Order: sequence, then structure tokens, then C-alpha cells
Amino acid sequence: MMPVGEQRWEVLERIGAYAAGELEGEEAREVEQLIFERPEYRRLAESYARMLVMLTTLGNEPLEAPEAVVGYVIRRAYVSAFMRGAEVFVGALGRSYIDAFVYYLGLRRESYGGGT
Amino acid sequence: MAIRASRGDVEAFRLLVEEHSGLVYRVALRVLGVEDAQDASQEVWIRVWRNIKNFRGESAFSTWLYRITLNTCLSVRRKEARRGEREYSGEKLPFLPEPRGGDADPEAATLSAEKREEIQAALGHVRAEHRAALVLRHMEGLSYAEIARVLEVPDGTAKGWVSRGRAAMLIALAEENRHEAGGPAE
Repeated sequence: MMPVGEQRWEVLERIGAYAAGELEGEEAREVEQLIFERPEYRRLAESYARMLVMLTTLGNEPLEAPEAVVGYVIRRAYVSAFMRGAEVFVGALGRSYIDAFVYYLGLRRESYGGGT
Repeated sequence: MAIRASRGDVEAFRLLVEEHSGLVYRVALRVLGVEDAQDASQEVWIRVWRNIKNFRGESAFSTWLYRITLNTCLSVRRKEARRGEREYSGEKLPFLPEPRGGDADPEAATLSAEKREEIQAALGHVRAEHRAALVLRHMEGLSYAEIARVLEVPDGTAKGWVSRGRAAMLIALAEENRHEAGGPAE
């Protein structure tokens, strides 16, 4: 047999699902019967309905992110993109210098700059 | 736009941030509360920029963004697991007081600052995963299939988390109201 707390919790969840309009057919009819027979369950369903209206109302209110957040992340992205670009440029420049130095020392037989 | 940003286009990323920063901040605020929402939002966008090259457009950008936002928020909250959750003995049912003018009162449709605080405080007493699912379902209006994709869990789990979150939220909200009224539990 299910403990009282668990039974109550189950009823609590079923009435919540009913108040959210998520039950259909037989399940919905069973909960309607419970609500009809027990005034405290009707009151519970009404409390759920009130809570869901509050959540939806709050959820529908427009809410902007603070300007500081938007400004910070955009600045950071620009800096990171610049650093990536600089890294590629410096890397390519460094490789070119090394290639030139290797050619200068005569360690590579083909001509510098990809010529023949 | 997201595809352009995934190729390293910073201007496209800037437009994405401007368009979706409200979504990220809103979800972070509901899941974490006002103290942590700003830092978490910044962290989300840093992760987005770092990982956007992996975005292939197989799912909607918003789904991908919700996932990063919730992962970031839940990783913050996992460190404080099971903090302040309300226990339910099953002895008393949680009820909310009727609005002064009844449910038909137009004032009931708008939320006072006090009510907002109550909701935010009550959300803080719901287990983090359940709270995330509840926020996505009843505040962001996502379907169970979308919630399952965002939270990377089976549909049944998403449904269960929303259901438990809803019940836990009502218990916490009833408790908040009881404290506000300064009276004993019903």
C-alpha cells in the first residue's frame, strides 16, 4: 500500500496536470470526479490555475538583458576575433621569416618564395 | 545568422546577441535568481561564441541556445544541490489565497512587485532540474518534445520533471503566502 505522503503527492501532480489542461479522456474524467466530490481538491485545482496564470503572465512580460551584459559579450567577441586574426597573421609571418632564414643559411635547396 | 556566426563572422554574432540576449537573461533570471543571472548570461554567451563553430543548424538556434543556457545555469546550481527545497509531508494541501476581487478581477492578471518576488522566491525552492523544466513549459511555452531536446532527456522524463516542478512550486508558493500573511499553515 502506498504511504499517505506519496498518495497525496500523486493526487497533487494529477490535479496539476489537469489544471494545466494536459489530461484527456478517462484520466481527465477521473480527476473531474475527484474535484467534484472533494471541495479541497477543487480548491487545489483553483490554486494551480492561479499559479499557472501568474507564471504565464510573468513569462510573457518583455525582459531585456542589462546593457552591460550585451556590451561585454560583444566586445569580448570582437577582441577574440581580432586575437585569432592576429595569431594567424603572426604565425604566417613567423613561418615566412623562418623559411627565409633557412633559405639564407642554404639549408634548403629550392629557391625562397616558391620559385624554381 | 547563426550559420554566418558559426563561420567566425563577429558582426553576425553581434546581431545574434542583440536578438536573443533577452531570452538568455530571462531564463537565467528564472532559474538562478537576480544575483546570479547577469554573470550566468555572460558565461552563456562566452560559451556560445566558443562553440558556435559546432552549430550545424540541425536544430533551431533557439533550441541550441536554450540548451547552453540551461546547462550553464544547472552547472551553477548543481554545486548547491538540493538547496532549500521544501519538504512535503502530505498532511496538508497547498492552497493559494483567492485574489481580493476574485479570479475575475482584472488586477489579478497583472503582477505586483510583491507577487513577482514571491514567485521568484518560490522558484528557488524547487529542485533545479524540475525548475528548469517548469520554466521552459509554463514561462517559455515550450512543448514537451522541445523541453526534452533542450534538457537532453527522454520525453517522459521532461513530462515528469514539469509535473514535479509544478507541484513543488505550488507548495513553495503556498508557503511564501503563508509567511507573507504571517499566519499558520491551512
